[in-house]
Amino acid sequence: MSAGTVDRERVGRESGSGSYRTLLWAMAKKRALLMYRYPLNTFSGLAMTFLFFAMVFFGGQALSSRALTDSLGGIIVGYFLWSVALTSFSGLAWSVTRESQWGTLEQLYMSPFGYGRVMLAHITVRIVESFGWGAATLAFMLALTGESLHFPVETIVIITVLAIAPAIGLGFFFGGLALLYKRVENVFNVLQFVFLGLIASPSLDVFWVRLLPISQGSYLLAMSMQEGRRLWELPAGELALLVGTAVGYFAFGYGAFQWMSRRARRQGLMGQY
Amino acid sequence: MTTTPEQVPDEVATVDERSGNDADRDAALAVRNLTKTFEDGEEAVRAVDDVSLAIRSGTVVGVLGPNGAGKTTLIKSILGLVVADEGEVRVAGTDVYADQRAAYARVGAMLEGARNVYWKLTVRENLEFFAAVGGESPDALGDRHDNLLEQLSLREKADTPVNDLSRGQKQKVSLACALARDVDVAFLDEPTLGLDVESSVELRREIRRLADQEDMTIVLSSHDMDVVEDICDRVVIMNDGDIIADDAVADLIDVFRTFTYRVVVGGDEDPDGIESGDGDGEPALDSADRDRLADAYGIETFEPRGERTAFDVTLGESERFYDLMDDLREVGVTVQEVESVDPDLEEVFLELTNGDGNRLDAAASGGDRA
Repeated sequence: MSAGTVDRERVGRESGSGSYRTLLWAMAKKRALLMYRYPLNTFSGLAMTFLFFAMVFFGGQALSSRALTDSLGGIIVGYFLWSVALTSFSGLAWSVTRESQWGTLEQLYMSPFGYGRVMLAHITVRIVESFGWGAATLAFMLALTGESLHFPVETIVIITVLAIAPAIGLGFFFGGLALLYKRVENVFNVLQFVFLGLIASPSLDVFWVRLLPISQGSYLLAMSMQEGRRLWELPAGELALLVGTAVGYFAFGYGAFQWMSRRARRQGLMGQY
Repeated sequence: MTTTPEQVPDEVATVDERSGNDADRDAALAVRNLTKTFEDGEEAVRAVDDVSLAIRSGTVVGVLGPNGAGKTTLIKSILGLVVADEGEVRVAGTDVYADQRAAYARVGAMLEGARNVYWKLTVRENLEFFAAVGGESPDALGDRHDNLLEQLSLREKADTPVNDLSRGQKQKVSLACALARDVDVAFLDEPTLGLDVESSVELRREIRRLADQEDMTIVLSSHDMDVVEDICDRVVIMNDGDIIADDAVADLIDVFRTFTYRVVVGGDEDPDGIESGDGDGEPALDSADRDRLADAYGIETFEPRGERTAFDVTLGESERFYDLMDDLREVGVTVQEVESVDPDLEEVFLELTNGDGNRLDAAASGGDRA
């Protein structure tokens, strides 16, 4: 490169030796290292999830043992979905807040991959993580209750991903709000109970409830895990509705996030906390 | 301020030097008519006001300004982290606003000092992570990272979590992460803030080396005039969102140079009791000599110091210094000391930001020196 001018050959290179897979790997490694170096935070979250279920189970037994036994399979499936959805949602919404607090948000924004794709890599890692925690929670619940369920793995994975896609969309939406308004943690806390309500909603009886986030996924996941139905054995219309709500809420949340991040940049709020 | 062509040193390219977009495209960083206003109506604050500048590669440019002058907004607007209302920014020929991702492949930034990195990760883990986020494979950059750690005296701390490092070391990790991959332009916001002298010197040396040896263009903002004077080729001074001075550091100081000297003449021995003024010899300059010199050079006061006499003289141009020396020799006094009392960058900065900006415009466009 000659002094005083720019080497033309280097201009226009969007990214160098690293691929998107490199970014995904880096995100996964960072997440694993942070979990390892914040051990109390990591394991207290899991312990609380176990404890909360144990309270539901033993409390339910004390109140109405028969009613609990009749609906135990549904409760376990619902609780599994809730823990996965919550991990994915909070992983996204909280990360924007934390990165902003830490001062690293702008560094991520300046990635040649684009901020949206960086966040997608981040959420991909969090989905994988949420399945890990979900599996551990599921194993704990089955061991505690002695209940048995069906495990058509590919069906469970696909339906769970589609079921939590609206939660991820909401995570993007509230992450965008965090960029603009910073302190929205109270909304995050309220949403975990909203998720609980959506998962337990009577989607069979009321059609419009199925259009709400997570609700349709919860219904189909219970059908698969309790009745052992595989993906191709599920009603096509129900699956189409699941895909529609997943894509719709995800697209809405991602679009809103992009819009709000641009608005935050217009107002000079990107790096402030 | 508009810099006149004769004041432009080799490493500096102004937007006006070559009209049109060709000059911008050849510059490592070209900013044209950048404007940013926050809020609307009566509360509107113009944080960046129609700023244009072009910087050639391998140049270190310091952005100075009082708090609220618009330095950070300018840097963030250049980077697209704050969306400008108007204007164009090109990094290595790439339009930042039209093709942000391509532009980000060319830049590194340290905007939050030591907060720019993950404190729970080790130094090397941070370097690898930010290299990957920057689009490079960390495996391919091992040597670069080793060199960076070596240059910044962090090699022995490579596997230490950032949290366990001193503030100066954290700051250096932050700089290293901004440079974890090959970039053309680096933006450093207050890179030496809070550092001890040794760390600050080390960091300055590394910044200068990057520009000189790796042809990197560096834009830094700092409140530390010593840093700017020490390592910057060029300084941009901002006030109220506007660039009020943009010149080579030496040339900028030169604009304010008045060729003022403190001169001490007289006997060979410096008598005791200078402070009390009770020297026992005759003053070096008699009354007639003083009047003559006062008339010729506008000297206002002569301060007797025993057998010596001290006075301040403002000559306005360098050639008159030799006339003064000839005249002093003619009256038969020995010149004991000559000390320049011209301003340093800090004094220039204060003069610019508190004083009359028009004065600098006049001076810079070839008018009388202040």
